[in-house]
Amino acid sequence: MPLLWLFILVVALGLIGFILGRTRALKDANGDIRLLHSLPNYYGSNVLLAVLIPGLAAMLLWLILQPMVIQGQVSSMIPDTAYTDKGSLNLVMSDVRRVAEGLDIAVEQGTLTREQARDIRTELTDIRARLGAVGVALGSNVESYVLKAAQKYRTMNAVGNWMMTVAVLGAALAGFAVSMLRTNKDMRARNSVERVIQGLLIGAASIAILTTLGIVLSLIFNTIEFFKLYPALDFFFGTTWSPSFGGGSELGILPLFWGTFYVSIIALLVAVPIGLFAAIYLSEYAGPKVRAIAKPLLEVLAGIPTIVYGLFALLTVGPMLMTVFGADGGLGWMQGGRSVMTAGLVMGVMLIPFVSSLSDDIINAVPQAMRDGSLGLGATKSETVRQVVLPAALPGIVGAILLAASRAIGETMIVVLGAGAAAKLNLNPFEAMTTVTTRIVSQLTGDADFASAEALVAFALGMTLFVITLVLNIFALVIVRKYREQYD
Amino acid sequence: MNDMRIVRKDVDMNDTKISAKKVQVFYGETHAIKDVDVEIKDKTVTAFIGPSGCGKSTFLRCLNRMNDTIDICRVEGNILLDGEDIYDKRVDPVQLRAKVGMVFQRPNPFPKSIYDNIAYGPRIHGLAKNKADLDEIVEKALRRGAIWDEVKDRLDAPGTGLSGGQQQRLCIARAVATEPEVLLMDEPCSALDPIATLQVEELIDELRENFSVVIVTHSMQQAARVSQKTAFFHLGNLVEYGDTEQIFTNPHDERTESYITGRIG
Repeated sequence: MPLLWLFILVVALGLIGFILGRTRALKDANGDIRLLHSLPNYYGSNVLLAVLIPGLAAMLLWLILQPMVIQGQVSSMIPDTAYTDKGSLNLVMSDVRRVAEGLDIAVEQGTLTREQARDIRTELTDIRARLGAVGVALGSNVESYVLKAAQKYRTMNAVGNWMMTVAVLGAALAGFAVSMLRTNKDMRARNSVERVIQGLLIGAASIAILTTLGIVLSLIFNTIEFFKLYPALDFFFGTTWSPSFGGGSELGILPLFWGTFYVSIIALLVAVPIGLFAAIYLSEYAGPKVRAIAKPLLEVLAGIPTIVYGLFALLTVGPMLMTVFGADGGLGWMQGGRSVMTAGLVMGVMLIPFVSSLSDDIINAVPQAMRDGSLGLGATKSETVRQVVLPAALPGIVGAILLAASRAIGETMIVVLGAGAAAKLNLNPFEAMTTVTTRIVSQLTGDADFASAEALVAFALGMTLFVITLVLNIFALVIVRKYREQYD
Repeated sequence: MNDMRIVRKDVDMNDTKISAKKVQVFYGETHAIKDVDVEIKDKTVTAFIGPSGCGKSTFLRCLNRMNDTIDICRVEGNILLDGEDIYDKRVDPVQLRAKVGMVFQRPNPFPKSIYDNIAYGPRIHGLAKNKADLDEIVEKALRRGAIWDEVKDRLDAPGTGLSGGQQQRLCIARAVATEPEVLLMDEPCSALDPIATLQVEELIDELRENFSVVIVTHSMQQAARVSQKTAFFHLGNLVEYGDTEQIFTNPHDERTESYITGRIG
């Protein structure tokens, strides 16, 4: 039975179970809802879940296990002489699957009967030609053991699918029967339904956590691979970055790290004062009407894709800076439109809504009683803001700034377009430099050999960035948490 | 009212400190205070009593223009402080609030040290010439706030770390430190236990020597204990205003009598 039909059948069974379970519970209570332990719908849902969970779990398990079992069985039929290592065994197995698929199609189109498909021999028939006629092209002539394996594969698959149908329906029906039998007016249907809902929520949460764990692990393993090929000391303390896929690369992180650091500092120098002042205006001075319009407008900035900011840096800010600081402007500090300053300024604009929005929330969280107390002593508004509101909100604001800093460190598109690609250790902010993130992109784009130090270095760079932003985030969270204990 | 123990002290009631005439307050469309006339005497404790929502706190906040911070609030009528209209355009509410200090319902120490909490007002208004001067002002204020002995060894500790009663006395000391002429207190004991309440009440009685004190309270015993003059508010109107003793023993208005005997409110 096709998978979709099986699925629909299980769901239909569940829905029938819902109605029957609800009815049965109501009948047991003689139609009086107050005699039931839970609301009638819970009894229905309980049966529904008792059908769906075992049915779908059996289906999922089978879909995972069947190919593994069949693969194991079939690959034992391939003679040892046919392959040298695991890689070539996989190649043979993919041939087997392809032949099996071809036989399926041939049977479907009627060029072969079921019996023929089961019994044909390479000695008697040109399988390659027969399968080519139905649209399945094979790279070479089919060896007899491949055909035998393919035939075995087909029969096992057919048996497996049949068994799956039985198992899934059996599990669903068993769940149906058990839950129906247990349905009576005293059954705690609500409790069991809510346990399932809780399980669902836990599942969703653990998927997010496990994904993070997976990302970290993949980074760690690749980083370890990299350090086997390239000494860690040279990576962390090397001052030259010149990867060449031909070998003899120097992969020192310091120039990249300096670029990241420099761009982020300039971005924060732009974003922190502007964002903070905007937040103070919005939360302390602006009337409700101005606030209602200005705050969403400011937050639109946060919704602009960073690639658009990158274009803005490349096409507008870079040339503008050139006219002032470039050779044309007479200062001659700037060689081209791409520079640390260009990227830093634009990234600063991008970070303004982060700083302002978070700071605004934090300033608003300072109790009105603090302001009243200060105003009641004859302090002016600005004295109140400077001496009472801001100190009270300071830890939270620091947290907001650190979050913005980790955004700045991880930002890629703006620096790709705005900062250039030259890895340099230089103090001139009008010089083109590059950052860790842009180098990760360039090391992994194109046909990189994933076993080389030049490609694997991307993971070490990513790991370093990850650790830095993680530390910054933890630091920010600790500060924000501490801030809650400040007043009250 | 058997436990009433009215403090009899010589009340120097010759000069009027604050004089309010025909005061109206609106919150948007709501008419919160209607035609209130009241004369608050110098060096006197005046109590505002009345049921919740009767407008006594609103009226109190008019006296130092704290209602200015509420956008929808509008005040009409005259309020004179030493004969000067405080709602006049030439009056800066900031200077006014330095003269008319305020203590709030819930203690609201700043998240700073005890010392900085007290020094806040004097620093803003430039009352101290040097550090020694400021130290002296802080000590004096804390002594007047009856909290010096409890905190003198930990002036650098955060003010928020004190107990509720200590915090409220700290807030009173903070208000006193700026040397106001009038001290407004909005239910200063509502968040305190009986012992802290007693300490604050004793403090209020001492403050009377230097300031005119206006206190809003829900407790009639408290009004009777600490005040010399009492005003009874009901539904935004000032129903009756007179000597505390007269209000509590021989009220002229029957609404006042109903309230103090617990029949309305």
